[in-house]
Amino acid sequence: MTIQRFISYFVFILWTVLTVTPLVWMSYSSFKTNAELTQDIFSMPSELVFKTDHDYMVSSFPSPQTLIDGKQRITLESSKIRGFRHFILVDRLPTEFQSLPVGQTVGLDQLPFGLRNEILWKTLFYNYTSAWTRGNLGPKFLNSLFYVVVSTTLIIMFSMMASFGFSKMQFPRWSKFLANLIAVGYLLSIPAIIIPLFIMLSSLGLTDTHLGITLVYVAFGLPLGVLLGQGYMRGIPDSIIESAHMDGAGHWRSFLSIVMPMTVPVIITVSIINALGIWNEFLLVLVMASSESTKSLPVGVFSFASQTSIELGWQLAALVIAVVPTMVVYFRFNKRITQGVVAGAVKG
Amino acid sequence: MGKRSRSDAVAYVSMVGPALLVYLLIVAYPVLNSVVISFTNFNPIAGTAPEFTGLANYRRMLQDPDFWHAFRNNMVVVGISVFGQIPIGFVLAYILFRKLVRGQAFFQAMVFLPNFLSTIVIGILWRRIFLANGPVSRVLQAVSGDPSAQFTMMLYPETVMIPIGFALIWIYTGFFMIIFLANLQKIDLGLLEAAQIDGATEFQVFFKIIVPMLASVLLINAILAIAGSLKGFDLIFSMTTQGIQRDNAMVLPIFMYQKAFLDRSNSVRFAYGAAISNAIVLISIAIILFANFVGKKLGAQEDM
Repeated sequence: MTIQRFISYFVFILWTVLTVTPLVWMSYSSFKTNAELTQDIFSMPSELVFKTDHDYMVSSFPSPQTLIDGKQRITLESSKIRGFRHFILVDRLPTEFQSLPVGQTVGLDQLPFGLRNEILWKTLFYNYTSAWTRGNLGPKFLNSLFYVVVSTTLIIMFSMMASFGFSKMQFPRWSKFLANLIAVGYLLSIPAIIIPLFIMLSSLGLTDTHLGITLVYVAFGLPLGVLLGQGYMRGIPDSIIESAHMDGAGHWRSFLSIVMPMTVPVIITVSIINALGIWNEFLLVLVMASSESTKSLPVGVFSFASQTSIELGWQLAALVIAVVPTMVVYFRFNKRITQGVVAGAVKG
Repeated sequence: MGKRSRSDAVAYVSMVGPALLVYLLIVAYPVLNSVVISFTNFNPIAGTAPEFTGLANYRRMLQDPDFWHAFRNNMVVVGISVFGQIPIGFVLAYILFRKLVRGQAFFQAMVFLPNFLSTIVIGILWRRIFLANGPVSRVLQAVSGDPSAQFTMMLYPETVMIPIGFALIWIYTGFFMIIFLANLQKIDLGLLEAAQIDGATEFQVFFKIIVPMLASVLLINAILAIAGSLKGFDLIFSMTTQGIQRDNAMVLPIFMYQKAFLDRSNSVRFAYGAAISNAIVLISIAIILFANFVGKKLGAQEDM
């Protein structure tokens, strides 16, 4: 018994270490400069976190940024990280700094406290801000959020409505046929029909649009929603709905005010599984989105990573940005996710 | 619920209609269209009506050595899923079921976690980790004492599927573990205790009671693994660099993507791509039927 326990612990601890190590390495390395990453791949971050008192050089004065709003700025460039610049309003500097010649070096400790603090924060998140702005990840983050929220909402609405029709209304023959027809879709996947989908959506002019991409996510989310929703609603006694009918409630009324509130556990499960799936989906957007305005975060991170294979720190920061939201949802809803996956796999 | 009336029918259509409409338009119609297109010389740019060309696209596919290369790699992926992820997942689930480790919820969450991270991100991360100057090479240097040691498996066609297989096991084993565990928990514990009182060893309990009871779940998991392996695109796409490396690790979905969307010299690329994706569906149905057959055969023998 003890040897079995020992082996069991060994196996699970090893597996946990294997899961966690790459993620931990990715997380702390995203706070390292490129030079640090190439020198020692495992060392702790220091340049951006601890040894931040490096010198800054006045690289241009007045800064080209002056043209934007007419205010005088001075450009300070880090002497350690190439291309890391701050455009600082001249008013914020002590008078003796206001007329520094180009090429002059300034120590960070010579600057006023507020300004120094700001620069320290910017230094810490240097990789993140670089990835966010250079990879144009902000709009893509919003697109991903749009796809997730809109598609999941529509999946829930449509699949719960259909589930109600299939399980609680008097059209058993139709319901059986239609429910099976939709359930078959659970075996299909986006890659299997990506070509006819692309042809059809381009003839409708919907390929590079939020609408087209969302429609596909909705269609592929329906089977699981109908499978689980229908199964759950069958367990709700018909008598409850019948008595509502007696009191004069129509089908919609009893669906919205009686059945929907009772179906909340399934709704949550279906929402989380679909939301995570859509957040991580890649091929559909890769094929459909030709302009920047419809690209999602995974596609953005992928192309950013391919373009910046020398800027390791930026690349890792982009990965963290894409992964953190799913991690939060996963650990927050771990139990429900597990239940939902099991239910989906067994029913399908 | 009384007699059906006209208003019932209207309510029914309004309930079921939206889901059905989206589903028929986005899933059902393209499925049929995919079959039709694959037998034609469909070309959206030419502007002429597509002509029926019989099996030409399929014949072209079967004569393409790249198809067979992708097919072989895909079979490796199927093998890794069925004979790697499933047995390991089963053992992990069994350990949790027998409560051999404490902190079950924690370990379960950890093994299951990679399923929910973006496969693209995972792929880019593992590509970095397996680079010739990446962390794994650094570990090899430390272990072997040879400062020039490098991890080169990603670079050669003979070995590229090994690190990819590792990443596949890393991601998906947790899924099968969860399914097995859920079904193990349905087993009547009294049955196991009775067997142990009768002198059955842990080993006997496992092979004589547990495995036969989960035969159908094993089969379901095998089917899920086969279907999943034949549609997997993201991991290998992001773990490899475009060009020779991706060609070395080519699997059928990537082959289909490249032929349909990147091979612009081919005027019938969509029709050809449709033929490839239909072939992928047919291959997965064939393997699933075979697995079903083998499963039934084994199940029947155990009953005797």
